[in-house]
Amino acid sequence: MANDTATINEALRAKAQEKAWPVGLVQQALAAGATPEQIIGYMEQGVTAEQARQFLASQPPGAAAPEPSEALQAKAEAAGWPLDLIRRALAMGGAEEDLIRYMDMGVTAEQAEQFMGGGQPQELDLSWMYVPTEWNTRARPTKHGLTLQAINVGKYGEVPDVWEFQTEMPRGAVPIAGTEGMGYSIFHKQEVWSDACAALYEEAIQRRWRPATDVPWTSIEPLPDDLERAICQVSTHLSEKAQVEADIIGRWEPEISYGYHEVKLYLATVVFEDARAVEVFRKRALSNGGGLGLQAPGWSYRSVIDSRNFTEMSTIQFVLQDSLTLAQYQYGEKYAQNAAERYIFARAMQDKARHIAYGITHLKYALLHRPERREEIQRYLDKGEGMLVMDDKRDRATREAFAIYFAGGKERIADGLKLERAMRRRGLQQYLERLKWATLGRDARLHPGLRPAFEE
Amino acid sequence: MPTFPSVEWFDAIKDIVNADPAFRQLGTVDAVIGIKVEHKIYELTFEAFECTAVREAGENDLRDMDFWLEQSYDQWKDMVTNIKEHGAADLSHTLNTIDLNIPEGFARSHDGYRRDAFYRFNQSIQDFFNASSKIDTQFASLEAVSA
Repeated sequence: MANDTATINEALRAKAQEKAWPVGLVQQALAAGATPEQIIGYMEQGVTAEQARQFLASQPPGAAAPEPSEALQAKAEAAGWPLDLIRRALAMGGAEEDLIRYMDMGVTAEQAEQFMGGGQPQELDLSWMYVPTEWNTRARPTKHGLTLQAINVGKYGEVPDVWEFQTEMPRGAVPIAGTEGMGYSIFHKQEVWSDACAALYEEAIQRRWRPATDVPWTSIEPLPDDLERAICQVSTHLSEKAQVEADIIGRWEPEISYGYHEVKLYLATVVFEDARAVEVFRKRALSNGGGLGLQAPGWSYRSVIDSRNFTEMSTIQFVLQDSLTLAQYQYGEKYAQNAAERYIFARAMQDKARHIAYGITHLKYALLHRPERREEIQRYLDKGEGMLVMDDKRDRATREAFAIYFAGGKERIADGLKLERAMRRRGLQQYLERLKWATLGRDARLHPGLRPAFEE
Repeated sequence: MPTFPSVEWFDAIKDIVNADPAFRQLGTVDAVIGIKVEHKIYELTFEAFECTAVREAGENDLRDMDFWLEQSYDQWKDMVTNIKEHGAADLSHTLNTIDLNIPEGFARSHDGYRRDAFYRFNQSIQDFFNASSKIDTQFASLEAVSA
């Protein structure tokens, strides 16, 4: 039965007065089956008297809840559903058989209340709609689409020299007090920034490729045993090297605070591209009757893994080591034995060149803003080059494998070793040229163990 | 029949790649590239997914380009002819191989960072030249490009 005899309690009367709901309207709502708590809830949610009147008018005549049958009342009592809840359910159009079925299914009165929206009215807090962020922002797509650079407008494009927040708050949002820190350790722009990182991120996203389906794997035909062993050893080396880089970069990601999200995003693509290199070279090794080869001595990995600050890691990895890796990819494409290898090396080359681009633009930025770090960086490179020399002495497997691959067979390995040295020289030359562009002269300080590469 | 090298020749290739979805699928290219054939220099501008402009340029313009490609006229003719014969550069005529074969490098720049765009966009630039297999080319005389 509708609540037509219910009186208006004090709380409801006060709220109705506050919200300018006429008494008659409140009585009408009660008569339609709403409880005083529900009506107060509607008022607090901002439902106006006019809206309530329209709603009630839209209900069919006699829409007040029918009296539940004796069977339903008995079932409700057994299931612990209050009679008032049953009446409201019926008033909302529920059929008796449905209600009985819900109770048989074990639906509790509380669940039914929530479903009907008849629980405690939710307190709304719309204050978030008025936080003082920069509003009316309308970033526009460019020829490249809606890029990271395109949305760096107004305050959102201001990258602070020092980021003061320990939390995951996005740049441009409003902080709330009491949020726990996320454990970042890099809060200074010069430690990670590159003016190219946003563009490099977009480029990496646009120029991605899929080893499983893009590489023409069926172009690989059986190779002489020495050549297959050589490319498998080369693939083992390149796959392993990429895995180490992915691990290292992945470790630095959570150190970088949210003020520099462009850097975080770009480095995420580096990890992804390294994963792709791990994948594609492993696939090459396992796709033509060969297998993996010998592990690398890994001395040069240590200089990157053991780096204690980001610029140290970035310079050794992206500028020193990746310059040599890029030369390996270049030579790999030139001496590819089939279309698949050519494709792999050519695409890996593009990815690697982006990593280098980030490394040297970051180094340039760091030296521009902290010129006193020049000698510090030189010392890191002393260490990085030293470890590289250690690898050179011990990693005969990779050197010989490249030589056989380039020369086309073991019997011509002497020619291949000359090509391998030329590859080494090219990588080192470009490394020194890139450092020069980043304003760091290194020619005179190059590790003595690397100089012989230039003397042939 | 367009003559290599000329604005008309590069424009013809520009139109082919800009209409080719496969070129777009290679991803964005943002670079200003010089093509130096003896004394003739052409500037190709790539922006986002297309080649947006071709023009004849001068020696002083090289400084403003990301990099330029330079080899002898005979080598240029060899490369273009090879692409026409095979539909795409064979392994000894890819931009990368040519770059490794020339001691001074095929891709040159006054700027070590901007030169690396040659590697970053290598396959798109290769695709651009490979598209020349779809047109018939006549070659200018050595005197014409040396003037």
